[in-house]
Amino acid sequence: MSAPTVVERMAALERFTAATARRLPGSDLAPATSLIGRAGERLALSQLHTVVALAGATGTGKSSIFNALAGVTLSQTGVRRPTTGEAHACVWGADHAEPLLDWLGVTRRHFRDGGEPDLSGLVLLDLPDFDSVQVAHRAEADRLLSVVDLIVWVLHPQKYADRVQHADYLTRFHRHRDITVVALNAVDLLSAADAEECVSDLHRLLAADGLGDLAVLPTSTVGPPGLDPLVKAIRQAVFARQAAVRRLEADLADVTAALAPTVAPAPPKAALDADATRTLTGALAGAAGVPVVTAAVEKAYVHRARKATGWPLLRWIRRTRADPLERLHLGDHRATVPAATSLSPAGPAAQAGVAKALREAADRAGAALPAPWQDAMLAAVRAHRDDLPDALDRAVASTDLGVARKRWWWRVVGLLQWLFTAVALVGLLWLGVRLAMEALALPPLRTPKVDGWLPMPTALLAGGLLAGLLLAILVRPVVRIAAGARRRRAAKRLRDSIAGVVKDLVETPATAVLTDYATARTALRDAGAPLPSR
Amino acid sequence: MADAGLGAALTRLRDAVTATRYPLALPGSGAAASLAKATAGQLDDYLIPRLARLDAPLLAVAGGSTGAGKSTLVNSIVRAPVSVAGARRPTTRAPVLVCHPADAAWFSEANLLPRLGRAGSAEAGGVGLLVLPVAVLTQGVALLDSPDIDSVEEDNRALAEQLLAAADLWLFVTTAVRYADAVPWELLHAARDRGTAVAIILNRVPPGAEAEVAPHLTEMLEEHGLGGVPLFVLDEQRLDQHGLLSEQAVAPLRDWLDSLARSAAARAAVVRQTVDGAVAALVPSTSRLAEEADAQSTAVVALAGSVDSAYRESELSVDHGVRDGTLFRGEVLARWQELVGTGEFMRNLQARVGRLRDRIVGAFTGKPKQADEVIVALESHLVTFVHGAAADAAENAAAAWRAHPAGGDLLAAHPTLSRVSPDLDARADRMVRDWQRGVLELVRDESAGRLFAAKFSAYAVNALGLCLMVVVFAATAFIPTGAEIAVGAGATVAAQKVLEAIFGDDAVRRLAGQARQDFLTRVHELLKEEAARFHTVLEGTGVEDGGGDRLRAAAAAVDAARRADPISGPDGAAA
Repeated sequence: MSAPTVVERMAALERFTAATARRLPGSDLAPATSLIGRAGERLALSQLHTVVALAGATGTGKSSIFNALAGVTLSQTGVRRPTTGEAHACVWGADHAEPLLDWLGVTRRHFRDGGEPDLSGLVLLDLPDFDSVQVAHRAEADRLLSVVDLIVWVLHPQKYADRVQHADYLTRFHRHRDITVVALNAVDLLSAADAEECVSDLHRLLAADGLGDLAVLPTSTVGPPGLDPLVKAIRQAVFARQAAVRRLEADLADVTAALAPTVAPAPPKAALDADATRTLTGALAGAAGVPVVTAAVEKAYVHRARKATGWPLLRWIRRTRADPLERLHLGDHRATVPAATSLSPAGPAAQAGVAKALREAADRAGAALPAPWQDAMLAAVRAHRDDLPDALDRAVASTDLGVARKRWWWRVVGLLQWLFTAVALVGLLWLGVRLAMEALALPPLRTPKVDGWLPMPTALLAGGLLAGLLLAILVRPVVRIAAGARRRRAAKRLRDSIAGVVKDLVETPATAVLTDYATARTALRDAGAPLPSR
Repeated sequence: MADAGLGAALTRLRDAVTATRYPLALPGSGAAASLAKATAGQLDDYLIPRLARLDAPLLAVAGGSTGAGKSTLVNSIVRAPVSVAGARRPTTRAPVLVCHPADAAWFSEANLLPRLGRAGSAEAGGVGLLVLPVAVLTQGVALLDSPDIDSVEEDNRALAEQLLAAADLWLFVTTAVRYADAVPWELLHAARDRGTAVAIILNRVPPGAEAEVAPHLTEMLEEHGLGGVPLFVLDEQRLDQHGLLSEQAVAPLRDWLDSLARSAAARAAVVRQTVDGAVAALVPSTSRLAEEADAQSTAVVALAGSVDSAYRESELSVDHGVRDGTLFRGEVLARWQELVGTGEFMRNLQARVGRLRDRIVGAFTGKPKQADEVIVALESHLVTFVHGAAADAAENAAAAWRAHPAGGDLLAAHPTLSRVSPDLDARADRMVRDWQRGVLELVRDESAGRLFAAKFSAYAVNALGLCLMVVVFAATAFIPTGAEIAVGAGATVAAQKVLEAIFGDDAVRRLAGQARQDFLTRVHELLKEEAARFHTVLEGTGVEDGGGDRLRAAAAAVDAARRADPISGPDGAAA
């Protein structure tokens, strides 16, 4: 496997910004988006050219070096400070350099034909200073420093330890070591021993800036050692044609290092663990009126069972009462558009319970994530807060509560009740007939006797009535037990329905945040951030 | 002359400046803190001791950029390598003060710069001021070689600024390479604003460049309001074997210093100019500090206000929840109905209160467990409800802080603020129980002496207390909707009727109002405790109210004392 190219890494960074656009504050992502734009522009422009900037404080001799390399006096030099206010460019090998210079925004251009052939492809910029009283110079220098391919820091023996040079610039560009050249100019002012001490001290300061072991090139425009070491370094960079890519890689390292803390911890496996889901489901069940519904289920079962199995002569009393479930407009779970139930809307306490459960779920889900993601998690978990009441109502309405159909044993008991009633009726009729015949003074019918003493019609009447009453009494506890079982089953089904709502309206958005997080993390690692893989 | 009035006013100003803190991360607080430190430092190091002895020897501090040659210049004036000079930057770390032996006592006694220790000798090293008596200097003027103002060593800059603030005269050393740098000009602006006496030494001018650089520098000085400042130009030159500049190169500067030293009047004029300028500059800088102190207390008020309004909003929502009857829904209602009977039965209650009362009381006496269940359900309902209100308030208050520049930092330092305090549930639980106990107490007091209470004993009190709780949450502005007419209103009407039958309408209304008010008061207390967490954090920052006024008053006193007795009297108008 070869190392990923800068283009691949930029694409990874773009994936990162896409995944985090809705989750992280825009100010965090601004450097990344601007780098992506800049990289696209720079790579589309001439890669045969290497843009080298001479940067430094005022009076360090940037312009003198520039003029010496260009071979003509292009940039104003002098003892008046500050001198250069606008960047100058000198191009070796003019082909196709114009769009690049336009992009750099440098208007003062000089084209050198011929000259040293091995500097062909060099675009040398003389930058304004960054430490003078002219604030505009610093702004222009900063603008160009963010786009050039190679930076030559021109230091001066008087100024090499300035705070502005180290704290504001060298430290900021410490990841750009590959495209950084440090030149200590005007060494002709120092004795050999002083120059040596100066260079070693500069090494110490560079190490503190994060640029340890970087070579310091002593230069002078008026005496030995001349500019040869610097020209050699520039020539190498121009010849390799890699500086533009190295620059972008260093920028990538900067940007990814700054972003790494936003995705540092490994992503958790699931957004909501079983415990959080259970708590949330419980709170939502309370808000959805599940206890009311399950109680109604139990009562409805008793009501319907009694209606079907009660003593036929008294069943009409049942009929006059309303069915507890129908009163809540519950029962027909198969309707394609579930009707709104008549459950009262969740009270403030239930709503507070839901809000609390949502907040706790979000806190738990985001506990392992960096701060901006915790906010994103809370927002995601609450995203459907306003849809929840309706969704819960629908979930309750469309749940099969298991009391719609009549039980088979209700029919058996009902049939038996009718049978007993019929027996009693037969006995009654028989007795009636006997009474009528007696009244009409007809000869009495022969009446069979049970066990030789109880007349049959009396036995039928009393037996039928007694058996019906007994059956009704016997069935009662069975109905109670069955109703309890129905209630528990309905409660379980309702919980399952509500768990489905939790999954759709809470867990899915929360998981989407985690997915974005994992995507962003992988993308940033692909872009070069030093993150552990898991 | 140094007068006790001004000295005392300066001491009071110093106390006011050191007492005022700028802990909130507002845009100007960092600058204010360093300005306060510098101001207090200048008062201690220079103004207060100097005002006590205006005739003491003059202290000239050589300050400037690293590599400008300050040490070489001082060494060359005294013709001896007293301060380390070299190519390595920054060179001078421990400041060296050279003076005539007769003046050494004044500088060694730590009258000026009392916070800076005195190093006994060159070998003692470390920090502290090294006082070196040198016979070649004329009595009356001392030279101090200060560290640079712009190198990577942050400590150097702080020390340099401290030393420059204690100078009677600035010898500002710059070079042909440096003279347009931004950092030294910032300090020159400060010197100009303070009215400090300044002399500029343009060092290391390449041969032939003087004709161009010196006029440009003069031009810049005029542009920046420093026209007429003495300017000495020294060419870049090889140093002699002792690392010194040639005697004739430093002669003009030496002569000028000598003339200052010899003339007591000229010296006094310089001292008075600097002291008077520094005292005068205290007024604008203190007013800047006062503005910043005001901004701090304004920010505290704003942050406290956003907390209070968040909690007040939550309190209002509790109030609404209690009054609109929606609290009495769900499980509590279901359990209440279980206790007193079904909805249908309740419809025709109006006429049968007597029976109902017996039934309810009977229900209680017969089913204490179910009554307890209603109470427990109501309790957990209320705890959740109050918890929700507190959580919303904490979140809203935290969001308001996050949007505030100073609040964000405070919140980051106290991340738990955005959630309710961990023991809130326990406290809310206790609060609700206390309230319920209070309701029972109310009922007990009201029914004392009535036949009813004697008849039904403790259960009756429980029953009536529960009825009262139901009335509190359900019967006020109850607006029934849909099925609630059947299930809710009936049930709560039952409770109300029972109470009315026993206590009478007026008493029930009064009791319900009392119980409701009691509940809201308890919620208010609880939320106040929650809000107090934010207020404690704010108090912990140490921002005082009226810090700005105190500063302004102290500055005004200094200004009045200065006007009453001008330091730059008729004899010392200018340097």
